Amino acid sequence: MISVPDNPSTNGKLYPSGKDALEGISIGDTVLVAGFARCGIPQKLLQALSEIEVSELTLICQGAWVQESTDFTIADLVATGKIKKIISPMPFHPVYGGLVKKAWESGNLELEIVPQGVLAERLRAGGAGIGGVFLPSGAGTRFAEDKEKRLYDGREHVLEFALKADYALLRAEVADTLGNMVYQATSRNWNPTMAMAAGVTVAEVDTVHEPGGIDPELVITQAIFIDRLVLSD
Amino acid sequence: MPGNRLESSNMVLRAAQELFPGAVVALGMGLPCHLPFELPASGGVWFIADSGALGYTGQDNDGVSVDAGGSLVAMLPGGSFTGVVDVAGILRGGHTDVAILEPSQVSTKGDFVHWTTEKTAGLFAPGSAVDMAYGSSTVVAVMPHQGPGGRSNIVEKCTLPVDGAGRLDLIITDVAVIKVVASGLELIETAPGWAAEDVISITDAPLSVSSGLKELTVDIPAIVPPNKVYPSAVDALLDVPEGSVINVDGFAGPGGMAHYLMVGLRDLGVKNLQLISNTAGVARVSAFGSPNIIDHSILVENNQVVKATASYPVSPSASRPSAFEEAYNRGETDLEVVPQGTLAERLRSGGAGVAAFYTPTGVGTLLGDNKETRTIDGKDYVLETGLRADYCIIRGHKADTLGNVVYKGTSRNFNPVMATTAKVTVVEVDEIVEPGQLGPEEIITPGLFVDRIVVRPSDFSAYLDI
Repeated sequence: MISVPDNPSTNGKLYPSGKDALEGISIGDTVLVAGFARCGIPQKLLQALSEIEVSELTLICQGAWVQESTDFTIADLVATGKIKKIISPMPFHPVYGGLVKKAWESGNLELEIVPQGVLAERLRAGGAGIGGVFLPSGAGTRFAEDKEKRLYDGREHVLEFALKADYALLRAEVADTLGNMVYQATSRNWNPTMAMAAGVTVAEVDTVHEPGGIDPELVITQAIFIDRLVLSD
Repeated sequence: MPGNRLESSNMVLRAAQELFPGAVVALGMGLPCHLPFELPASGGVWFIADSGALGYTGQDNDGVSVDAGGSLVAMLPGGSFTGVVDVAGILRGGHTDVAILEPSQVSTKGDFVHWTTEKTAGLFAPGSAVDMAYGSSTVVAVMPHQGPGGRSNIVEKCTLPVDGAGRLDLIITDVAVIKVVASGLELIETAPGWAAEDVISITDAPLSVSSGLKELTVDIPAIVPPNKVYPSAVDALLDVPEGSVINVDGFAGPGGMAHYLMVGLRDLGVKNLQLISNTAGVARVSAFGSPNIIDHSILVENNQVVKATASYPVSPSASRPSAFEEAYNRGETDLEVVPQGTLAERLRSGGAGVAAFYTPTGVGTLLGDNKETRTIDGKDYVLETGLRADYCIIRGHKADTLGNVVYKGTSRNFNPVMATTAKVTVVEVDEIVEPGQLGPEEIITPGLFVDRIVVRPSDFSAYLDI
């Protein structure tokens, strides 16, 4: 593990603070936020985002449906009023509601609901240079309304287009200074896919090694996808 | 007065009767998440969650792994982790045997509404339920028969936006088990003390009563994992029929090729094979690795190959054609040339339930000829379709007995993607270990994709005697 350098320009991708690592984020940007339930959430970056003068952001994320979390979450960010829209498979818990539901009900937040696998596939397409994909998911439901459909093997498939974003906020337990990353358990979730699908990718990591400190067979997100790193504490 | 209603734990346990050895079982939010908490920890089935946990139990928790509902669970020996995009592929690509969901409303046609209620009617909460419902072999709903105020959750037509149209196969409630059949809903089991009429009287949809109507029980047979280890390559490939489509890595060089399984295929002599592979066997003429390395040529020379789909089907030397080229020039084989990335993407799509996709690769070249092109956001794309196979032969480094595989160096290449595409996936490894000996974060190909495992004998040589 290495310490945070005083001057980030001398150490490549490692930035001294969350705010520094988010430099350039602008009004109206689309931001990918990794995390599933309480796992793999870039909390420090979310908190930094809440302190930056920016607004009208669109977030693409799993949602804010975990109730007991005391950490800084998507819901806390929504409460700051900087978020115009969330694209998510389950933006809030359908039974317990919460801050996101309140913002939506008061008309201050727009929601676009996309089934989880469709959202993941659209981001993967964006990251892999694919323009669109024909998926069976959601045929015959309102998720397929006003979309092009075709039959393959006798089953209806729906055309879904690729999705990309301006920034991605990621979280990994371990990285090297080049940006190679490994995740612990279910912290992996959206991280590897989102790492491919944004103009600027910023990862919050617990530990940073020198290059060579991570077994090449174990790397899940390759350094070429990562632009900026910041330590989680 | 009918009997008591089932407690939710028993409702969920009834769903376990739909499981079988080796089944891949996707669990949605709510009641289905309770199943691994109710059943003893056993590797007999693969419980998978859209959080990326593959093969877990609720009988323990490791502090870092969560299920679909965000509850802490623990990985079983042989469990592994993946990301949400690969979970979607497992759900959608035909790799899931049973999906268990908790809808808020279901209909006569097998439509369902997932977690949306009147209070959130303008909003839907599909989560991964949509992918689960559209990709799994059997889709089971577990839900209370009635909602607040005694209103039936089973209706003729859903009153809220549906997340799956006609996707349900079975509905388990706290008073009955109902099968979705072509003609509508059929009552097949009732809870102890409940007569068919009692169930019908609280259901707002027509129910036919099965002639085999029986009492609902929650007896769960022990489920042991199926044996995947075969004694030899020939044993593992014995049932390959003539004319099969077979995926084999085939990246140039000795690394990722399943040499031992290829020899098994040759010894079996099965004819009219269609190979999907990066090359069509060029190692011996282009001296990648060694001139006498085993590759596709042994099958071509044995007159077993009628077609190759490949990105490097020819030798780099015009004066030294490969066995496949010679057969092609004699008119004995067909050939489909696919650029390498398109081949990988077509395989990935086939394995992940993506029927077709628009790729920019090959637009304006011969490789895009006679294919649909489309401009999306000002960029030209060509439409390519997913590829699947009957069998896939994989070269791994180590596997555990559940079929989890790790690779070594660049021998990984096409192997993990191909492992997702076939009806039967056979892996050849240097060593077989017990579940738990490969770390859950280290596993590259989860065992749920692998059907058969063979050890490459220590005295096996990947080189021909020439």
